[in-house]
Parts: sequence; C-alpha cells; structure tokens
Amino acid sequence: MISLSDFNHEHSRGSIAVSVQDLGLTYTTSIEKKPTLKARLKSLGRGKKHTRTVKALNAITLDVHYGTVLGIIGSNGAGKSSLMRVISGIVPPTKGRVEVYGSVSTLLALGVGFNPAMTGRENVYLGGLAAGMSQSEIDEKFEAIADFSELGEAIDAPMRTYSSGMFARLAFSVAAIVEPDILIVDEALSTGDAKFKEKSLNRMKELRTADRALILVSHALATIEDLCNEVIWLNQGQLMARGKPADVIAEYQKFMNVRKSASSDEDV
Amino acid sequence: MSQPVVVYEPFKAGLPPMREYLRQLRHRRGFISEFARSELREQNFGSIFGQLWLVLNPLLLSGVYFLLIYVIGGTSDATRFGHLTSTLFLFYLIANSLTGGVKAITSGQRLILNTSFPRIMLPLSAVVVAIFRFIPTLVVALVIHAILGLPFSWQMLWAFPILLIAIVMSLGMAILISCVNVYFRDISSMLPYLTRSLLYLSPILFEAKKISSSIKQYEIVNPIFYLLDSWSRVMVHAEAPTAKGMLHATIFAFTIFIIGTYFFLSRERDFAVRL
Repeated sequence: MISLSDFNHEHSRGSIAVSVQDLGLTYTTSIEKKPTLKARLKSLGRGKKHTRTVKALNAITLDVHYGTVLGIIGSNGAGKSSLMRVISGIVPPTKGRVEVYGSVSTLLALGVGFNPAMTGRENVYLGGLAAGMSQSEIDEKFEAIADFSELGEAIDAPMRTYSSGMFARLAFSVAAIVEPDILIVDEALSTGDAKFKEKSLNRMKELRTADRALILVSHALATIEDLCNEVIWLNQGQLMARGKPADVIAEYQKFMNVRKSASSDEDV
Repeated sequence: MSQPVVVYEPFKAGLPPMREYLRQLRHRRGFISEFARSELREQNFGSIFGQLWLVLNPLLLSGVYFLLIYVIGGTSDATRFGHLTSTLFLFYLIANSLTGGVKAITSGQRLILNTSFPRIMLPLSAVVVAIFRFIPTLVVALVIHAILGLPFSWQMLWAFPILLIAIVMSLGMAILISCVNVYFRDISSMLPYLTRSLLYLSPILFEAKKISSSIKQYEIVNPIFYLLDSWSRVMVHAEAPTAKGMLHATIFAFTIFIIGTYFFLSRERDFAVRL
C-alpha cells in the first residue's frame, strides 16, 4: 500500500519507477450492478448465474523509467484501468509481481469526491489523508489545489452541487499539485471545459521532468502522441505492442480499422 | 538498483500482509478523526443547536418509551425509568454503529476506486462517529440517575470494561455488515427491522430479571442481552455485573469482531471490482 508521505526520493532519469513482472489479474464480479439478497433468494434452485469471472490482465511485463511519459491505449475492456489499479495498489494481482520505486498519485476516472454531502475542502482533506498524506502536508498544498481548480467559493460547497466539470477540475488539481514521483492519470481529462483541459495538459507537460514518471491512459490519441515519449497498446488484457507513440498508435489504428480522424484524436 | 518502496503480490491465505496493513492503518489514523469531525459537522453537530440535538434526541427517545410503557401502561417507578434510559443509550451506540457501518464501503466507492488504503478505516470511522454521538448521552444518563435519586457506588466503575466490550461488539458488527452490504445491497434496507427486533428482544423496555426463565434460556443467542443487563446492573443499580453476563458479552463481542474482521480483510480486495 503506497503512502504519499512515506518517502520523497530523488530519482535519476532512466532509473526504474515501476516494474511489472508477468502480471495477471483475474477477478469475480457480480452480474447485476446492485446485487441483492432478495434476488438471490428468488433465484434459488433455478441455476441462475450471479457472478462472472473476468480475466482482466494476462502475462503483462513492462518497466516504466523515471523521465518517461508512458501512454496506454486500447479499446474498452482492454485492461487499461485494471493495470492502473494494480500499479496503484487498489487491486492486488492474482499472478506476478509489481514493484513501485516511489510515491504514487492516482487520478483514476472518478477522482476525488468521496462523500458528495461534504464540501470540496473536506473531500480534499479526506482524500489526502486516505492516500497517506499528513494534515500539515495537505495544509501546505491546499491553497495551490484550490487556486489551480479555479473553483473559488465553491470549494466550500457540498460536492453534490458540483457539475461533472467541477468534479474533474478538483480531482485533477489534487493529483497534479501533490507532486508525486509517479503520477497516474486515467481518462480524467475527458470532462471539463476546453480552457481547463488546456491548463491540465500544460500542467502535465510541466510535470514531465527527469525525476518523475507519468502514466497516462486515454482514448485521445492526439493527446497521447503529444504528451508521451512511449506508448503501450493493450488488447483483451494482453500487451500487444510497445514503442514510439506514432508507431504504436498507427499499429493500433490499423488493428482497429480506424483512420486518423478528429473523433479518434480528441476526447469526445 | 534501489529497493522497491512497495511490492504488490498475490495475497497468501486470503489475507493481506497484516504487519504492513496495521502500519498503514496506524499511519492513516488522521483520516478517522477527520472523517468523524466532517461527518458530525455535516449532521450540524458543529453548531450549538446541533450539539443540543445530541442530548435532546436521546432524551426525547426515552420520553417516548416512558410515555408508552409507564404512563399508558400504567406503571411508574424511578428505577425502571433509569434502566430504560441507560440501556436505550447504550443500545443506540450499537445501532448507530450498524447504521453508519452498513453503507461505509458502498458510499466510499469513489475513494476505494481511486486510492490505495486499508478499507477497514471506513467502518472504523463510522463507529468513531457513533461513539462521539454516544458520549453526551452518557452524561444525560448520569444526570437522570442523580435526579431520580438512584444509588451511586464504586461498582459503577464496571461501566468502563462494559463500554469497552460494547465498542468491540459495535466494531465487529459495523465491519461485518459493511462487507456484507457490498454483496447484498438490500441489507441496508433490512437493517431498521433488524435493529428494531434487537431493541424489543433485549432488556431495554423490560429488565432481564423480570422475564421468565423459560424465555430467558433463549436469550443466550441474543449477542447484546447480557451486555445490556450488565450495563443496567452497573449504571442503574450500582451493583457489580454477574460473571456469566460479562463472560457472555465478552465472548460474543470478540467472536463477532474476529469473524467480522477476518471476513472483511479476506474480501476487501474484491471491493474495487464489486462497487
């Protein structure tokens, strides 16, 4: 389990940030979105299946080095988010091993906003404390987070009153301002207005330093090509290709039988 | 090459590495207190009227039951009212832990899907909130005790170990039900019926010694029966609890805590893919 405040190492370009070795992830999940005891009792003796087994990742081996911005592409259900969750320690692997050589900050799809009844400020503090930061570390960063998010007085309003764009702005601000060794961003730039999206991209470019590793999951191939210096392509839980962004994206587009277009390049 | 800071490997024997898990839990204790503070603020307990409600709410509750049993029922005596108030307040510590705990995991979905942390922090935080809500009621119970002219003695210090047992039981129940609710989401809808049944089957509206021995033999399966009986003996009658009562309550509390915690820890890896 990673703790943001446990360490603050110095890393040299080229040293390993994340090492993924023969990683496999298989899990069982319920078929219904909200399984109930009532439904289970009603279907007793009918032989109805309630769970399904998902083979999300299979024999993935890769190293991510400091100074790298790694893009991850693939169709829906390819295993991109699962890989990010295993690297972040949110889901333990069922096979293989993941070694992480630094602090990790994650911005995985939903971002902050753990309790919608609480204010943005309270959620930032709770999210930070849950991630292992100390109260004083959050105090130190809070003004910068609030400023970057441009939420103004809304930072003290309950998060249930936020729009999806406001959610995304606060979530990105938290992940980007804490300055982790390894920043993982999964589809988090797809909401928010054009101005904030540009600001976020610029912040990501600022974070591309030799002593940091960035892992970016996105369907926006132009963003991946612009930001990343290395790309991997996942398909049905398997690593299909790894290399220079232009080459891997071209291979992926050929496989998917899509041409380079506005719809495949940008978040929609 | 430097040593990895964190290594993630498949869990052995269904449980996460416990030493590291407990270290992370200790490291994040600030979350639990901040969560409790935020939750109480959200329930308006940060304001004067909110704090007043913490005291008024249990008083009104005991008033309702007093009206029902002693005024409408036609019996009235100070000891029985003292018993009703004290046991009802302790019962609400357990009931509030269950109510807060049942949705602790499902409502923490965003945090669970985005952050790596010991998930058990969420039901633990719910119990801390219930304890904060219980403390003022303890003061109210003592004031009522004095007003009713009920006895005080050193035997009342037994309240501390009984309270500790009640907290262990509340933790076990909250941890267990928070995990079960991930697999069966309608448990939270059934909970009010469960707590209401527990209220009527426990020595709150009646004293344990007043029920017949033929019924009392079944009370051994009620996990809180002897806990509340011991609490009543200590807080109302200022007597020492019985050894049988303390043993029953302790065994139930630690059994529920151990089973609940094992079930939770062996399942918590599933939460991110089940929510």
